[in-house]
Amino acid sequence: MIVLKYTKSLDARFISHIDLLKHIGRILRRAGIPVKHSQGFNPHALLFFSPPMVLGVNSYAEYVAIDTDMNGDEVFERFNNSVPDGLKAINWFKTDKNPNIQGKSVSADYVLDVPYFEFDYKDGFEITYKKKDDMVTEDIARKIFGIFNADGRLGVRLASGNNNLRVDRLATGLNEKYGKDIKITTIAKIAQYVDVDGKEIDVDLYLK
Amino acid sequence: MNDYKKKIDELLLSVEKPARYVGGEWNVPDMKKQAKAKFCFCFPDIYEIGMSNLGLQILYDIINRHPDFIAERCYAPWTDMGAKLRENDIPLLSLETATPLKDFDVVGFSVQFELLYSNVLYMLDLAGIPFYAKDRGGEYPIICAGGPCAVNPEPFAPFFDCIVIGEGEEADLELLKKVAEGKEKGLSKVQILEELKKIEGVYVPSLLTEGERVVKAVVKDFENAPYPTKPLVPNIEIVHDRATLELYRGCASGCRFCQAGYYYRPIRERSAEKCAEYGREMINNSGFGEISLCSLSTSDYTGLMDLEKELRPFIDEKKITLALPSLRLSSFTKEMAQSSRRSSLTFAPEAGTQRLRNVINKNVTDEEIGNIGRAFEAGYDSVKLYFMLGLPTETDEDILGIAEICKRLRSLYIEIRKKRNLTISVSCSVFIPKPSTPFQWEAQISLDEMLRRQKLLRNALREIKGVSFSWHGAETSVLEVVLARGDKKLAPVIVRAYELGAKFDSWTEYFSWDIWTQAFADCGIDMGEYIGEISEDKDLPWDFIDIGVSKKYLLGQRHLAYQGITTKNCREGCNGCGANKLGRCTII
Ligand code: SF4
Repeated sequence: MIVLKYTKSLDARFISHIDLLKHIGRILRRAGIPVKHSQGFNPHALLFFSPPMVLGVNSYAEYVAIDTDMNGDEVFERFNNSVPDGLKAINWFKTDKNPNIQGKSVSADYVLDVPYFEFDYKDGFEITYKKKDDMVTEDIARKIFGIFNADGRLGVRLASGNNNLRVDRLATGLNEKYGKDIKITTIAKIAQYVDVDGKEIDVDLYLK
Repeated sequence: MNDYKKKIDELLLSVEKPARYVGGEWNVPDMKKQAKAKFCFCFPDIYEIGMSNLGLQILYDIINRHPDFIAERCYAPWTDMGAKLRENDIPLLSLETATPLKDFDVVGFSVQFELLYSNVLYMLDLAGIPFYAKDRGGEYPIICAGGPCAVNPEPFAPFFDCIVIGEGEEADLELLKKVAEGKEKGLSKVQILEELKKIEGVYVPSLLTEGERVVKAVVKDFENAPYPTKPLVPNIEIVHDRATLELYRGCASGCRFCQAGYYYRPIRERSAEKCAEYGREMINNSGFGEISLCSLSTSDYTGLMDLEKELRPFIDEKKITLALPSLRLSSFTKEMAQSSRRSSLTFAPEAGTQRLRNVINKNVTDEEIGNIGRAFEAGYDSVKLYFMLGLPTETDEDILGIAEICKRLRSLYIEIRKKRNLTISVSCSVFIPKPSTPFQWEAQISLDEMLRRQKLLRNALREIKGVSFSWHGAETSVLEVVLARGDKKLAPVIVRAYELGAKFDSWTEYFSWDIWTQAFADCGIDMGEYIGEISEDKDLPWDFIDIGVSKKYLLGQRHLAYQGITTKNCREGCNGCGANKLGRCTII
């Protein structure tokens, strides 16, 4: 199995997760990368993705595991010859089996396009957002794992996976509480972490 | 990235399906080359529908292949985005480079359907371009139109500088060449239009003289006509999300209600080898998981079996599917049912009795309907049937005949499959007498009568298990016939309707009958004038358009219809419609 690490930025950041799943299948087909299919009445390509991204947010740490016999260098090169600029592969890894990144996800790092500032969240951070047709208020404090200075910008580590915190909701909360003007479309996800035996590990290291 | 692109990006998260507005599809050609003239295709419906249109993809590809020209695209923004553009003072932009429509040399609308007329104005309005050609000076692009509705361009003619009648493959390139030359030489708009008028198929409304005719443009060498083998691959799900292969143009069946069947004559087929080659190239270049075959009556295509055979190994190797839509009952075989692997079969008998099918020349016999049994043997459990209500000479017996067909299919299914879970969905539209068909003189039934007949059918179908029934809006059908057979007097009505709020008329949630009746009333025009039977000796607004098929032939067909006499399929021999004066019918 080959795992590609790829970006989802520029125009591609507006592709929804569902559309992306379909899209990657098409990319692999036109790239001539053979993908193994599941058995059974309705065979589907054996592809495994990292958790869905929020629409409009850039990511430089998306992963897809591809069940193929082709070697990694060739997959990487063929993939990059068949994708629009926003969806470029930036690294590849070889694994024995499906690394189950989605299932193991615990957190992710994001950079918000606003000068670094410290904000209080440990004693509670309430945000209000629309879910379906209802307005929901939620305390997201326990889903914020930390903040850091990312070359002068505000970096945050947020829960990802089952217990996911959508970064756009945090950004909207910060805009409201601190009078900032963080644009969702300029946020960038820069790293994805998984839980391996109770430890939070960058997917890149986990796959090495 | 220009400023508009940045502004648009910021709006995208506040609208539904932002990927509609970002472009960046795979296979978008080079937009940076030095071009002598730039064209923007406008499709007056949303992205998902416009991107599914094969004609537009063909023309887009042809222009962009030319070293001197660039074509971009623009689809009607959904109402949420339309409102955002207005709020933020952003004019309507092209998808590829976020260039305002006003900055192109030529802006070309694809007019597919009468209910999109209001959306043409919606797009012009968003682009800040005056509606009427006479109100636009040389500072505006040449605004042109094309597409199936050009068969009777009169209702919208006053909005356009020129209209391409027929097939745009060659005409559009000629048009761009002349516009580029005119620009170089510093010609005025009128001088350029005089040049454009010389192109075959180009109608310049402001320059048409009394008694003059415009001959439809036709691609003579269809076999070798360029084809978009690098199709654009959308980033969101669109209506026809697959590679589309056009097998032939025109139709040999001669159904008397069908405008496309007459408008796209002569009948020109592409060889199976060429189609297979295109099919493979398209998949390799796009990665689509499905090929669909597109033509007016796909299963009539001479090379269908050869094509299937040629493509089969490739399809199996790539694990893609081959879809066979709109099968004709008469050429339906069990192999086809099996190899197309769809969940549901689609058939269009159009009328419930043999008598009425003879009138409309839909050569589907009762016996052939029995052929559906082969699909049941192949494992199908669901059938979709299409019919029309209000056809000329229709009686209640014909309508009840639809229910009879459903009953027959149900017992056939039970007999073959020994179970009862067949689902049948019956979909009915209302007959619309369209220009350039043998039925162009016919009346449309009244609104009340439409509702009565729908009710009659609905009640009859209710008694059969497993049948669902849907029908098209009666009021939109009335508007469709009025706009289809209209004349220049209707242009101000369309403008008035737009002012009153009409847009996206083909979307039930937006269509407003009140707006349109109000618009007609405000302009002092009686819709009834366009709905009733038209006397055969009356001049028709579209008489000046020469589609090849002669008026005499159409009239002859109408008279045969009333006698219940059918006309043979052109594949059995030429019926002398006249279309071959514009190009050879290759099936003969
Ligand atoms: S010219 Fe003859 S073969 Fe061709 S479409 Fe007309 S009737 Fe049919």
